[in-house]
Amino acid sequence: MSTPTSTYTCPYCRIPSDGSGGTCPHCGAPVDVRERVSDSGWAEQPAIRDMARIRFSRSTCQIIGKYVPVAEMSLHEDDWVYFSHHNLLHTDPQVRLETMRMAGGWNRMLAGMPLIMMTARGPGHIAFSADKPGETLAVPLQHNQAVDVVEHRFLVATGNVTYQWENSGIWFSTQKGDDQEYHYPLGQTMDRFWAKGGPGLLLLHAPGNTFIRDLGPSERILIQPSGLIWKDPTVRMTLHFEYPHGAYWFSSARWQAKSAWLSLHGPGRVAIQSVFERPEMTGQVVRCSSATTQVW
Amino acid sequence: MDRIECQWCKAQNEPDRTSCFTCGAPLDKKNLVSDSGWAEAPRLRDMTEFRFSNSTCQIEGELVPVAELALAQGDAVFFEHHVMLWKEPGVPMSAMNTGGGMKRMLGGMPHVLSIAHGPGRIAFSRDAAGEVVVLPLHPSMELDVREHAFLAGTHSLNYSFVRIKGLANVMHGGEGMYLDRFVTANEPGLLLLHGYGNVFQKTLQPGEKILVEPGGFLYKDSSVTMNTVKQSMKTGMMGGHNMYLAEMTGPGRVGIQSMYVHHGSE
Repeated sequence: MSTPTSTYTCPYCRIPSDGSGGTCPHCGAPVDVRERVSDSGWAEQPAIRDMARIRFSRSTCQIIGKYVPVAEMSLHEDDWVYFSHHNLLHTDPQVRLETMRMAGGWNRMLAGMPLIMMTARGPGHIAFSADKPGETLAVPLQHNQAVDVVEHRFLVATGNVTYQWENSGIWFSTQKGDDQEYHYPLGQTMDRFWAKGGPGLLLLHAPGNTFIRDLGPSERILIQPSGLIWKDPTVRMTLHFEYPHGAYWFSSARWQAKSAWLSLHGPGRVAIQSVFERPEMTGQVVRCSSATTQVW
Repeated sequence: MDRIECQWCKAQNEPDRTSCFTCGAPLDKKNLVSDSGWAEAPRLRDMTEFRFSNSTCQIEGELVPVAELALAQGDAVFFEHHVMLWKEPGVPMSAMNTGGGMKRMLGGMPHVLSIAHGPGRIAFSRDAAGEVVVLPLHPSMELDVREHAFLAGTHSLNYSFVRIKGLANVMHGGEGMYLDRFVTANEPGLLLLHGYGNVFQKTLQPGEKILVEPGGFLYKDSSVTMNTVKQSMKTGMMGGHNMYLAEMTGPGRVGIQSMYVHHGSE
């Protein structure tokens, strides 16, 4: 057990606080639990306790529920947040809801991303939730800090967090007969959230449990692409294909990659979730973004 | 010693009880209420048991809980047949005609509800992670429930269904065409619901309003009026989209679920 002190630094968001409230006021992580780190170095992100409060600007966010937690915000009149309208659960009538202007609508539509973001301005209460059991992650961003987030993980962010999206740069194509198919294991785009003009708060929803890890310079790890939640912008991504060798020629998979991994290259922090989509047999890879190959 | 009042259903309990004898809510835990007044539905402990009429109900499991009923002779429960998980072979079954067959078929509702009669055991569950919400209904209460959300109701409840008024509400509201209505006459009843994700309840004062995502709506007292309000969203390309929210106006209770399918603005 750690003892709350005036110099407590949260091991998850790394922001100091007095640690007296039982939970970190910046990310909601409990302060009175031992950090759980696996032998390989993955730290389990503890779930935010029911009814824990997170402070941002002059407002608060309370996380309520356990299976599909709800982020309920008490917005000060000077504060505003933005969100994808799918995530809105309830709101006081006096909260002002407006549409947020988004650039690149056509490309977002093609990429399957929400076309519409909304803003909510205080004063009043407004609440958000996702559509799968999992955990709400609070990622407080210091001034000029940015994170890259996999699409469809975003729940809500404070107004001073800049949002932009860019191509994920992770793709490959397979060929079967005359048919060529393009695959985007991370989705076509990734969201970048960047705190400008002061600290901000980003809330994400991750199905299952969440684990975080610091990759050292030149350290590399392979993960299931759909398991990634967020990463520091310093973490570089490439693809990695594996061709396992079988006991007999017909059980070898020399002509099609059995595993398409996402290779993460440090330095930087990454977060993954325990729920991911079942990977498909990839077929014969004919073109791809930057990738390495292993034939076993 | 003083009796303990259940914070969820207000029943008076013996001082030595750790869970409410009428709804199973833990009595040794404080009710969790958010800053804006939403109370969490009590998280029933695994194997919690409570009584109704001469029968008992036990809640088993936590992620997708099962409600197992031990029906006494003379007691019965009604339910949609696809929520039945298992039953003892000797539990007699009958059917309840709901009326309005064609309308219910068009609304995607079952024509016939099944009734299980005691004595014997029968168990119910739904198909996704969530919570069983236990709502003891006192005499002369009326509760409206989202379609396909109820798990089982006791024989003392009168079941009917009400059409959601207004074409715009039906088309854009996301709650479906009908609400299940449960009414108690002279004797109390028990209603079991399954809410996806977590369930929260708020009591609205007369005239108090709250806007709720239609997919998140779970139940309300019939005194709460529900209207659909449109939120226009301009995208700058091809005009824009509209988002529809359910405006609930008090007085009465409103229940919502945190996991839902978003409707109406795709």
